[in-house]
Amino acid sequence: MSKKTKENISLLIFITPALIVFLIFKLFPTFSGIFYALTDWNGFNKSFNFVGLENFLEIFSDTNFWKSIIFTIKFVLVMAIFGNLIPLFLAVAIESRPKGKGLFRTIFYMPNMISMIIGGYMWGFIFTKVLYYLADNFGMKFLDHSWIGDPNYAFFAIVIVALWGASGYVMLIYIAALKGVPVHLIEAASLDGATKIQSFFYVTLPMIRHAITICLFWILSTSFQVFDVIYSLTGGGPGRATESVAINIYEEAFRGNIRYGYATAKSTVLFLIVLMITIIQLKLTDRKDNGI
Amino acid sequence: MKKKIVNKLYVPISVLLACMIALLVSVTCQAKSAEQSEEIDLNIMMSFPQYMDQWQKYCSQFEKKMAEEGLNVKVNLEMPSSDQYDSVLQTRLSGDDAPDLFTIQRNNIDVYYKAGYLADLSDQELAGKIFDNVKKTVTIDGKLVAVPIESTAWGVLYNKDIFDKCGLQVPNTLDELKNVCKVLKENGYTPFLLAFQEQWVPQLMTALTIGGLVSCEKTDWLEKMYKDEETYATISEIFDPIDVILANGTDRAMEEGSESGSADFANGKAAMYVQGTWAAQTIMGTNPNMNMGVFALPINNNEKCAQVNLSTSTILGVYPESKHLEIAKKFANYVLDDKDSSALFQSCSFNPIATVHKFDTSPWVKEAYQYVENGRAYQDLVLPSSVTDEQGKLLQSYYVKSITKEEIIKTLDKKFQEANKVRK
Repeated sequence: MSKKTKENISLLIFITPALIVFLIFKLFPTFSGIFYALTDWNGFNKSFNFVGLENFLEIFSDTNFWKSIIFTIKFVLVMAIFGNLIPLFLAVAIESRPKGKGLFRTIFYMPNMISMIIGGYMWGFIFTKVLYYLADNFGMKFLDHSWIGDPNYAFFAIVIVALWGASGYVMLIYIAALKGVPVHLIEAASLDGATKIQSFFYVTLPMIRHAITICLFWILSTSFQVFDVIYSLTGGGPGRATESVAINIYEEAFRGNIRYGYATAKSTVLFLIVLMITIIQLKLTDRKDNGI
Repeated sequence: MKKKIVNKLYVPISVLLACMIALLVSVTCQAKSAEQSEEIDLNIMMSFPQYMDQWQKYCSQFEKKMAEEGLNVKVNLEMPSSDQYDSVLQTRLSGDDAPDLFTIQRNNIDVYYKAGYLADLSDQELAGKIFDNVKKTVTIDGKLVAVPIESTAWGVLYNKDIFDKCGLQVPNTLDELKNVCKVLKENGYTPFLLAFQEQWVPQLMTALTIGGLVSCEKTDWLEKMYKDEETYATISEIFDPIDVILANGTDRAMEEGSESGSADFANGKAAMYVQGTWAAQTIMGTNPNMNMGVFALPINNNEKCAQVNLSTSTILGVYPESKHLEIAKKFANYVLDDKDSSALFQSCSFNPIATVHKFDTSPWVKEAYQYVENGRAYQDLVLPSSVTDEQGKLLQSYYVKSITKEEIIKTLDKKFQEANKVRK
């Protein structure tokens, strides 16, 4: 055996455990899922029929599914913008403080440590009880809206909770990136007469571009699969006004007509959409910073 | 340099791996030897976590009873929350990890029976004990395939004290209902409590109105719906009572869950509440002095259409391929045990469903069953569950005014046809 192959084998052995887990729990379900998408299985019958591409054809005329896709895209866009701006602002604000960095870091990271299902229920209480209490007893009339019941406000409610949950994590990545910006560059910029704002936009921001790629990628892929926040906050309601793709798929698979095969066909479509967006995004950002 | 480190690590890592494998093997061996002792594990899954204590107690009584027969049975009772119950159960069934006994909704009995997940219980002792009108709801192809657990007669809950104060009688026609609302408002009461946050609650309005109308006037509607020969437009009358309820309801319905709705109703926030008698536990827990009654929701001015809904909601099935089928069937029989069953059903405030149940029911249950005795009750309609779910969603949208009646009719027709297609 040559040195090269020996080395490769030893490396393979090291990654074997992770690889096995990946194959069994990620790759296998993905491909068996695509297989079930071609059947009319209802999730628990012992037998099922092969129906070819019928499920995929049906998706084209499924208005609820496309409505949920549009809702999800709206959500993703809002999250991609604010889910990066707010954490970046927090990170810069915390890093520029002389004292108490650890305290603020912990406070803003905290929502990330509890499950979003619980977070959703907590916020549900705030939206349905606390805000009304403030509106009724303290004259804060601007809070007197149907935060869960009005389709427009329900969207804001979901975005608020999702931002609350995701900000801490993204903020940590930005803080780490900010720490990596060489101090001498900023000092040189200020010696050359750059203001703080100028040095942020022309020195710091280009230096943390790799972090922006990571965060944008993470926010995009998690927002596309948003489920827990909506499930615990509005349940997709009122009606189907706040139904995301993941909720739509879940309902198809486990409620109503329990059409498991059709639901997997839908998730295959979702997978393709996310894959396409990821490729486009990586191509675009790749041009600027040679990948992650 | 790098390679050297890798080589040095080789030995300790392979030793470590070997140790881990050895440990795993020994652990599984131990587990096997423990199984060989006589203990029988009986897995039961149920969908009412609110009665966990009562059923836990009943299971340990069953264990004791089995011990007397010389069997070492250990019951594992699981109660996933009702939101996720169906998905958990379906995953377990298809994942070859089926519980020996499990509860399901009566409306899904066909699906589970066809998939072969319900054992035939016709030859069991319990078969002779169940009341005939209840037994009908759990019989398919002449076979008894499940034990009914929850069976209720329900309509609209009302606060008797408020009605008495305003000198009101229970309404029997839609005009009378409108009058009741008017008088209540004049006396400063809100007529209806609305709690629409959870979709199944607004859905109760369609359950009552469609049920009432179809059983007295449009008797062949449902049958024709299943053949794609009818439309919801035929029964668009159902929106008359629904509009009355929505126009005379409490504010902020979308922010009110079913539990807090029950609590608010108990505290007198409104005089009537479209909710089943299953909410009684929360209501009485909040206000033990509550004087509550049940009346049938009027659909139109035909008094006969105002009927209560007689339904079996939760049923218990036995998994036919259970490893301990005999023990599982014994448990099914024990649910309707001559001696112990009454106490269980009473403590969960379930209604009597078999001859062994000899206990006094609450006044509101009696009032509802009076309608049944007078022939003013119908068997709960079985709609495809996707249609039932959709009705709840659409009524939420209707309440927030983002959809019209015509759109509801159109969507429901489409959903029904879709369900028919899937059935075939």
